[in-house]
Amino acid sequence: MNDTAVLRQPFVLRFATVGFIVFWTILAAFPLLWITLMSFKLPIDAFASDPLRVIFGFTTLRERGGLSVTALVLGAFALWLAYHGAEHHGRRFARYLALGGREWLGWLLAALVYVIALILGLFWILPAIVRVVEAILSHIPVLDYLARPMMGLTMQNYRAVWIGYRFYDNFINSMIVTTGTVVISLTVGTLAGYGLARTRSNVAFWLLIAALIFRALPHSVLVTGYLPVFIHSREFLAPLWNWHATAWFFHLFSDQPPTLYGQPLAVIMVLVSINQPFTIWMLRSFFMNIPAELDEAARVDGCSHLGAFRRVIMPVMWPGVITTGLFSFLLAYNDYLVCSLLLDAQSQTMVPAITSFFNRETTTTDQVQAVAAAVSITAPLFLLVIVFQKQIVSGLTQGAVKG
Amino acid sequence: MAEVQLRNVTKHWGGFTAVDDLSLTIADHEFLVLLGPSGCGKTTTMRMIAGLSDVSGGEIRIDGRKVNALEPKDRDVAMVFQNYGLYPNLNVYENIRFPLKVRKIDASTHRERVLKAAELVELQDLLERRPRELSGGQRQRVALARAIVREPNVFLMDEPLSNLDAKLRVSTRAQIKNLQHELSVTTVYVTHDQIEAMTLADRVVVMNRGVVQQIGTPMEIYDRPSNTFVAGFIGSPAMNLIEGSLAGGVFKAGDMRVSGLPDDGRDGDVVLGFRAEDAFVADGEEPAELEAAIYSVELQGDATMVTMRVGGELCSIKAAKSFEARIGDPLRVRIPSGICHRFDKKTGARL
Repeated sequence: MNDTAVLRQPFVLRFATVGFIVFWTILAAFPLLWITLMSFKLPIDAFASDPLRVIFGFTTLRERGGLSVTALVLGAFALWLAYHGAEHHGRRFARYLALGGREWLGWLLAALVYVIALILGLFWILPAIVRVVEAILSHIPVLDYLARPMMGLTMQNYRAVWIGYRFYDNFINSMIVTTGTVVISLTVGTLAGYGLARTRSNVAFWLLIAALIFRALPHSVLVTGYLPVFIHSREFLAPLWNWHATAWFFHLFSDQPPTLYGQPLAVIMVLVSINQPFTIWMLRSFFMNIPAELDEAARVDGCSHLGAFRRVIMPVMWPGVITTGLFSFLLAYNDYLVCSLLLDAQSQTMVPAITSFFNRETTTTDQVQAVAAAVSITAPLFLLVIVFQKQIVSGLTQGAVKG
Repeated sequence: MAEVQLRNVTKHWGGFTAVDDLSLTIADHEFLVLLGPSGCGKTTTMRMIAGLSDVSGGEIRIDGRKVNALEPKDRDVAMVFQNYGLYPNLNVYENIRFPLKVRKIDASTHRERVLKAAELVELQDLLERRPRELSGGQRQRVALARAIVREPNVFLMDEPLSNLDAKLRVSTRAQIKNLQHELSVTTVYVTHDQIEAMTLADRVVVMNRGVVQQIGTPMEIYDRPSNTFVAGFIGSPAMNLIEGSLAGGVFKAGDMRVSGLPDDGRDGDVVLGFRAEDAFVADGEEPAELEAAIYSVELQGDATMVTMRVGGELCSIKAAKSFEARIGDPLRVRIPSGICHRFDKKTGARL
């Protein structure tokens, strides 16, 4: 950046900086990498004291087979290709598929095609190519080492977690809770944030202060408030089912008031209430950065107030909405306290469910399965960050959208 | 094409009165400039015409139709904003086309109309660019094109030139003047720059603290300011305003003595105004109205501005560009009574 001699760092300082960053990255990423390696091994390898055994999994290799260097290299290349393709050709592809100029339709179709192609590619085409290449290499002396399995790999832990212990139930519950939380808090947050950013009223200030206070409350306080209501919700909600003016409406859903405890849909309400102050504040600051002239120009040009919001403000707001959405996704997805207290074992989300794996903790098998479950939880997060990285970066850094 | 009428229009913000009882008729095809210092209510007036601010009292009529309760989109006005208000996610073509698109005007005519508007402001070559890739002047032209593409009843321009550099301001000013002449659409233009007002306007409305000070053609406003505010606001430099006493047609203040003013019984404390370019340096021994030491001399290229002290105030005299003198030199200045304006000292009103 700065090529002036005065500002150039001395070699020692630069070396120290780079060294520190590398050290810190390894320190931060190490646990994740390590449990990822562990989760693909038999327990005897996963908990071995020799780190090489954890990495290469000699017993796993002998008993369950593994991957060759060829497979690893080709696999890495396929992943890079998938990322590169989406990064550089995704937009054009989506435009191409935008039938009748509907851009959202284009993106939806493109995403669908991409996911199908990815699944086909990774599970059928890639293994086939690997097998062919390995077959060719194995006939060449010296190079046949590249075709020989060298890194032990087994999917048995994942199979046990996802199929044996029905982890997909927890996954579905997590998805219900997070999707609900993100959708509701973003919808309310954008509308409220926009309103609060544009109003001149004093009430807005007090609303924001109130939101801040709610944000400052420990989550356990909110949960304590909700817990008795959730458990006794049948009595609390009974009047709604009995009062003739509202009864017909609620009877459409069920004959008697539900027990909210153990219902993922009800937990959404609690998570939204925890999350909402934050999303409102964050989205408000994004909206503050959009000049009011933009709304006004749109309104003079022929939009209604809501039309100006939809057609002009929202397209400019996407980075802000996606960044805020990611934060509220993380809050709901990573939530432990609320979900573990308000949901029962049958309706548990993923994060609290892991504790049940660790609590069993009788054998090393259970432990390595817990590790596999933990790795499973991080995968969607990675996917999300990779897909939305550009919007997140622009949302976090620039913040302002200059007109 | 429309006439805009404002009848007793008032705007309050809480206890503060931004615009007070403004009545004004803007004729069809007229270029009207609202002029005043910041906070004088000129922008508020325009925003009320646009429908972006509510009217607290009175009524606004566009083309004879009362529009107080109408949304901006239903008033058929187009507005150019100080900071352009372009849509950053759309390219120039889509920006200009936006009003046609949201108003659901027959899509087959869009291209022709956008190109015609772009051509009027010389943007043909930039249609694919995004606003952030344009210079300030180009952005302002996009905003102009977006306003004219729809052929609205009324143009509203809110200090459209204030973000441009001085040179660009002059050329864009000429472009706006020409555009308004070509399209001949009723235009309301807000500015705090009196030169813009003088050059562009058919009529100027000078405002201060929410109250109209004077409405008139640029020449009327320049030649017959109706009060000391207008006199002190218009012109560069502004009119010299000297406080003094008037008795029997003779005005006295410090070293200044002007005789021959109308003797109509308005004796007492008055403010005497005259423009720097109307006064001149006395030559020879002819009697002079003002004799004082020079306070400062400023070269302006085409002329030399000489400042002198009269009583407590400074007063400027425009001298020839060949004029040479040093600070402190005594100077004799002629201020004929014919160039003087008299104002009431208390109310500031013209006498």
